Amino acid sequence: MKRKDSEIQDTIENRDRIHVVMFFLGLLFLALAVVILARVVIIQTTYSVDNSVIGLFRPRIQKHTEVPVRGRILACDGRPMALSAPLYDIYMDCTVLKQEFVDRNDPDGERLWRKKADTLAYYLSNQFRDRTAQQYRDLIINGRERGSRNVRIQRNIDLATLNIVETFPLFKEGPYRGGIIVRPHEERIYPYDSLARRVIGYVKDSIRIGLENNFDYVLHGREGYEWRRVTDDKQWIRDLDSNRVRAIDGNDIRTTINVDFQDIADRALRTRIAEDDDIRAGIVIIMEASTGAIRAMVNLSRGNTPQTTLWERENIALREVGEQGSVMKTVSLLSLVEDGYVTNLEQTIPTNNGFVQGYRQDVHILDYQNETGRRDISVMHGFEISSNYVFTYLAENYYGSNPSEFFDHIYSYRLGEAFDFDISGLGTPVVNRPGTPSWSRTSLGTTAYGYGISVTPLHVATFYNAIANKGRMMKPYLVEDIEKDGRVITTFEPMVLNNICSRATADTVTRALRQVVVNGTATRLRGAKLNVAGKTGTAQVVLSSQERNGSTDPYHDINGRKKNQGTFVGFFPSENPKYTILVTVYSYLSGRSFYGGTIPALVVRDVVDQIYAIDGSWNNTLRPANANVPVLDSRVATSDNGQIPDVRGLGLREAIYSMESSGYRCTYEGSGHVSSQTPAAGSTLAAGETVRLVLR
Amino acid sequence: MRAGDIWQAIKNSIKALRNGEFLLRVRADKLYLHIMYLFLLMWLSIMLSLQVDKTLTKAGENKATIEQMRIHHAEKEAALVKVRSASATQLRLSRMGSEASMPTEPATILKNH
Repeated sequence: MKRKDSEIQDTIENRDRIHVVMFFLGLLFLALAVVILARVVIIQTTYSVDNSVIGLFRPRIQKHTEVPVRGRILACDGRPMALSAPLYDIYMDCTVLKQEFVDRNDPDGERLWRKKADTLAYYLSNQFRDRTAQQYRDLIINGRERGSRNVRIQRNIDLATLNIVETFPLFKEGPYRGGIIVRPHEERIYPYDSLARRVIGYVKDSIRIGLENNFDYVLHGREGYEWRRVTDDKQWIRDLDSNRVRAIDGNDIRTTINVDFQDIADRALRTRIAEDDDIRAGIVIIMEASTGAIRAMVNLSRGNTPQTTLWERENIALREVGEQGSVMKTVSLLSLVEDGYVTNLEQTIPTNNGFVQGYRQDVHILDYQNETGRRDISVMHGFEISSNYVFTYLAENYYGSNPSEFFDHIYSYRLGEAFDFDISGLGTPVVNRPGTPSWSRTSLGTTAYGYGISVTPLHVATFYNAIANKGRMMKPYLVEDIEKDGRVITTFEPMVLNNICSRATADTVTRALRQVVVNGTATRLRGAKLNVAGKTGTAQVVLSSQERNGSTDPYHDINGRKKNQGTFVGFFPSENPKYTILVTVYSYLSGRSFYGGTIPALVVRDVVDQIYAIDGSWNNTLRPANANVPVLDSRVATSDNGQIPDVRGLGLREAIYSMESSGYRCTYEGSGHVSSQTPAAGSTLAAGETVRLVLR
Repeated sequence: MRAGDIWQAIKNSIKALRNGEFLLRVRADKLYLHIMYLFLLMWLSIMLSLQVDKTLTKAGENKATIEQMRIHHAEKEAALVKVRSASATQLRLSRMGSEASMPTEPATILKNH
């Protein structure tokens, strides 16, 4: 019983203890609630932001976006045609320390700052040479007096220049004391300036053209991000507690463009066009016959007036859909030979004074009759002199009853559609075929000699390339592969579009094209260093109503002026074609005529002669019968015994190679060949030390 | 438990703290090694944290240096490619008064049989 009372007593005491603890806890929470409530009321009614406190509430970590490096666009030999690097704009906060000097009543400090600004102005003037030192000084001091915090000093300077500028007085003191503000912006560098710029293209804001646009998904890469936190030393470092997505740099694309060919073609065209103010634009396409790889694509044009600079303004080769004139006679000849209507190029047709019923008379036939006294003409000669009559006659005679047979050929030559191409914007051809509203009784004949069908220059080049490739039409392409750090990821193989004719037909037409150069309208190419086969074409361009200015003739304005385009398209060497070339020039409104056998043929000749010398396919090999050929030792002197090699007389590349192979570093000045070196050759120098070269 | 007992306990604790006997009162001497170990861990943690900061700062600087080198390389590459083009070479040669020009004939290669 006693024991039971004691247990009851313990239980009561235990409960008392719990009650007391709970009472105090309740009291504590009540007090806290009162404090919180009071604090809420105070904050809501009286609290205002205290700047000294704000800093404590700033996030201690920040999200930093990692921008990927855009991939490069490479020429076929790996030389970069477009690459990315930042350029820098330099601004200046001219008000730095100004208020501090006032607050500290420190006029000497202000004077010293301005003195440094004078020196800075002198250095800036020397560096950029766009303003005098006084002008730079005025810019900075006036900015300081106006309280300007963002005075532009220079734009678009490279890293090397920035590094120099950052050593200038005042600027070397940094942004808070020297006021320098550097704003980098990623820019695309085009080492070859305007060369192939329409092919390379660009992506800027909403303007997106060329390979830069079509392969943007490859070149761009993927943005990444990381969270950064600030250390006790005020340095921003990666926050390891947060996740991170690494940026993936863009891949490179290797194009089919041969920079040397592009350069040759650009220069040849530029030189010829520059001589004639009536020419508005010109294009060159060079295509590899066996693959369809485009080795050069030049698109030079002037602006609205001849005084404007020749520049790659628009991709005419791709977009300009127009009647190509006599170069399309090859389409007719190929069809006639393939269908067996022309079995022999020497087969003749009657001249009929150049008349085909319903068509305009071909006066060239009258000249031919007068010169030769003959009343018949061979198909070959008609092709050589580019007779409209001959091809109208042949078309009407063989396809007149079934024009669709002829137009089926045109479609099989891919001249009626815009095929897929590495750059978007390839123009869609317009074919005036049977059954369309524009079809008329003369449509067959006019199409046979090059009117009534509108295509782009690239279509024409692709067609001629098929003849050069013995009937196999290759799809033209501009991108060979996609690469990552020099490793090929994806390769684009050459593709066959169609087999357009037999090998025998291609050989026959090639013979005709060769005769055009030997005896016909392209004799300016007769002396080219490689045999060229091809066709000239001259076409009048349909004028807009504004250009016609009231004239009812679609090809002439009211003053009788017209717009011409002259083309030469062919391939070389004709006996074993390696390259197809097309050159077209376009005129302004002019009273003159421009023929494919003049400027375009001359451009082709310049290009062919230069490609012949540098391509490597036509190198000569000498194998002396009874003598050993001395081996030219191209190795340059190197040293591994601690003595400096003698590099005098060498070019810069060889000299640097020699020095670096010997373990030394180099600095140099001047250009030409090494005329002296310090320390002298043969003296001893520790590896890693620098040798100074002077070139003259 | 009465309020007086609690008050007495608080008073004793404050008195012990003042005399530096608090840890002895709670017999913390038995936990001395653990406490030392705890302090060692805290010191290691702080030191490693500072080292990580230092390493990451250095990594950031190195990253910036690599980026500068990349830019420098890209600029140099562009400049060299530019001067190596045939047109630029010809222009430079003609400005220097040289008569050298592009080859007009292909190269001749000498071979032993």
